[in-house]
Amino acid sequence: MRKALVVVSALLLVAFAVQFVLAAVGGFTRPAGEDAYALHSVNGMAIIPILTLLTAVFAALAKAPGKLIGLAILPIGLVLLQPLIAMLAEASTDASGVSTPLGLTIGGLHALNGIIAVHVVVGVHRAARELADPVPADAARLVTREGEPA
Amino acid sequence: MTTGSLLVADLVIAVLATAGWLGGGAASAARRRPLALGLTAVALLATLARAITITALARAGWWFAAEKILIAGPLSLAAVGVAGPRLLRAPGDIRAVALPLLFAGYATSSALLVTILHGYPASAGAGLLAVAGVVAATAISARALGARPSRTVSRVALVVAVAALLTGTGLTVAPGAAPAVPHGHGPPAARIADEPTRRFTLTAGTATVDAGGRNVAAWAFNGQVPGPELTATVGDVLEVTLRNRDIERGVTVHWHGYDVPNDQDGVPGVTQAAVRPGQEFVYRFRADQVGTYWYHTHSASDVGVRMGLYGVLVVRPGPATGLDVTVPVHTLAGRQLPAPRVERVEPGVPVRLRLINTDSTTHRYAVAGTPFRVAAIDGVDLRGPTPLVDTAVLIPAGGRYDMVFDAPATPVALFVDGRAVYSTGPVPTATGAWPVLDPLDYGATAPVPWSRTDKTFTLVLDRGLDLRRLLPRYAHTVNGAADPDIPQQVVRLGDVVRFTIVNRSQVVHPWHLHGHHVLVLTRDGKPAAGSPLWLDSFDVRPGEVWEVAFRADNPGMWANHCHNLAHADAGMTLHLMYS
Repeated sequence: MRKALVVVSALLLVAFAVQFVLAAVGGFTRPAGEDAYALHSVNGMAIIPILTLLTAVFAALAKAPGKLIGLAILPIGLVLLQPLIAMLAEASTDASGVSTPLGLTIGGLHALNGIIAVHVVVGVHRAARELADPVPADAARLVTREGEPA
Repeated sequence: MTTGSLLVADLVIAVLATAGWLGGGAASAARRRPLALGLTAVALLATLARAITITALARAGWWFAAEKILIAGPLSLAAVGVAGPRLLRAPGDIRAVALPLLFAGYATSSALLVTILHGYPASAGAGLLAVAGVVAATAISARALGARPSRTVSRVALVVAVAALLTGTGLTVAPGAAPAVPHGHGPPAARIADEPTRRFTLTAGTATVDAGGRNVAAWAFNGQVPGPELTATVGDVLEVTLRNRDIERGVTVHWHGYDVPNDQDGVPGVTQAAVRPGQEFVYRFRADQVGTYWYHTHSASDVGVRMGLYGVLVVRPGPATGLDVTVPVHTLAGRQLPAPRVERVEPGVPVRLRLINTDSTTHRYAVAGTPFRVAAIDGVDLRGPTPLVDTAVLIPAGGRYDMVFDAPATPVALFVDGRAVYSTGPVPTATGAWPVLDPLDYGATAPVPWSRTDKTFTLVLDRGLDLRRLLPRYAHTVNGAADPDIPQQVVRLGDVVRFTIVNRSQVVHPWHLHGHHVLVLTRDGKPAAGSPLWLDSFDVRPGEVWEVAFRADNPGMWANHCHNLAHADAGMTLHLMYS
């Protein structure tokens, strides 16, 4: 179960990275239309929520410490918040559909919330790896694993 | 505060309450006492504030508040009722209140999900699923927190959760009473026998057209976007032969705003079969309505119209006098059509600008440099229109406004969303700050032609999860259902029918009933105080309630849908039929 938690949280991290890429794809698609963000929407409203739920479930099943379970549950809320923020941003246009400063501010929160969610998931993934493969503190200093800062 | 912004505020407050409870629960589980108490205070304040927003929404209309009162209300009360007393007992170990706070968080978040995913009408199924979710999440949290509830409590929780889950799922997924749309072809063809006096051929095909100085791929009638302008004089019999060269998704021609006999209406699967590549279909109808209209494909209408399968239909009362300019505004591949045009006009010449919005979203039009009158909306002349100066108009998706004025000696310009589209010379004017005309207050009033109402329908527009398909989708819904599961509206010939259209969602829905013009009675409870408005396309903005009426005088099976065609595609389409 602990291995599964590591794998699922890693997959979630990858999905988040892909999500940022897809946001850029949407931003640079010409002509800009409602379809530009279709992949971003699918990834954000189907794949990421499923992986987020799985991460929380595996954290519970792996009998992780309460703090890690809590940390694994937090992204569920943040992920659900994302489409909500996007919807509010799109709703905050003037009568002819032109964006307003308020709408753009709310839209900015969409990015901010995404960054926060990624940080939380990075934390979950780190904790999951420690849980799966506890390394004594001094040994960790000697053997730096790939992908981790030295 | 408008109802639209109240809806947004209520949503934001609900999110705050949820985040406050959940955050408070997590903080107390981690024994962060000040943080836990602070977040809980936020949650309590937000819950109180929500009582105010929900009350205000209920006053604006039951539709806006139904599920908030019936589902979110009890769940929020349970949240405060469970978490409040335990907090007041001020436990020495803050961890003791973690579970009650988390319960409160689950209760408010499930209520929030009901609003977002289900909306109107509040249903027992959604409420039970919410309860099941709350009990299940609380039980899991109890285990994770190491709480040891008594055996009885655990069993009761299990039974409640399973029962709520099963009943809720059953109620939600069970097929509704909505009968499928019969794929008949309407009543027997009332095809007119008269010889046509105006003949046109429209050939639909893929094409490369010029849009704003760039070649773009399009779908076009006769190789041009917009398609050819069809003109007629009232009384003409039009015969239009539609051919499909290579549009794989099929084409039809719908005469937008033209109340033709049902079998000429061009709705695939309802009034005719879509015309496939190599096939043709002949439309024939009498031009008995004067005014500005347009035509477009109704097959795969969202992509079809967007790609360019549309054109103008103008029916004049007699030979054109003065200068008659049609301005069909469209966004093709991100480029604005038509291209800006400048022409010199002799002073004193009467000018009629026929403004058409063929996009799926509202556009803002402003005539600068002269006083003008709005002579007609959606093809129907207004009564007693007064001159307007420095005033913009908002034209809904599919809508048309006719602006008339006598050309002054100085230049005149028409701006669409700030871009000069038509002008008689340079007009350096910023129109962005101009007030917007409210057509409900414009022109001279006249009594409503009927004193009775035979049928009343309410259409509550919202978003919701549609599970009745292979792949679930977040649909645009009418009364909680999405096409093809929205019950048909059945009327009898001669009925005076009243629609109450309520927008609970966060986006504008331009409403469009085929085959009829509707008379606007009230908006947000305020009676229309200007010229009678006979519309076929009108914007129902978030939080608005429109009451409109019409006489059922055109038998058949009529589409009744949102003319933001992406919304129509995503479920916001229903049908009106005659018994």
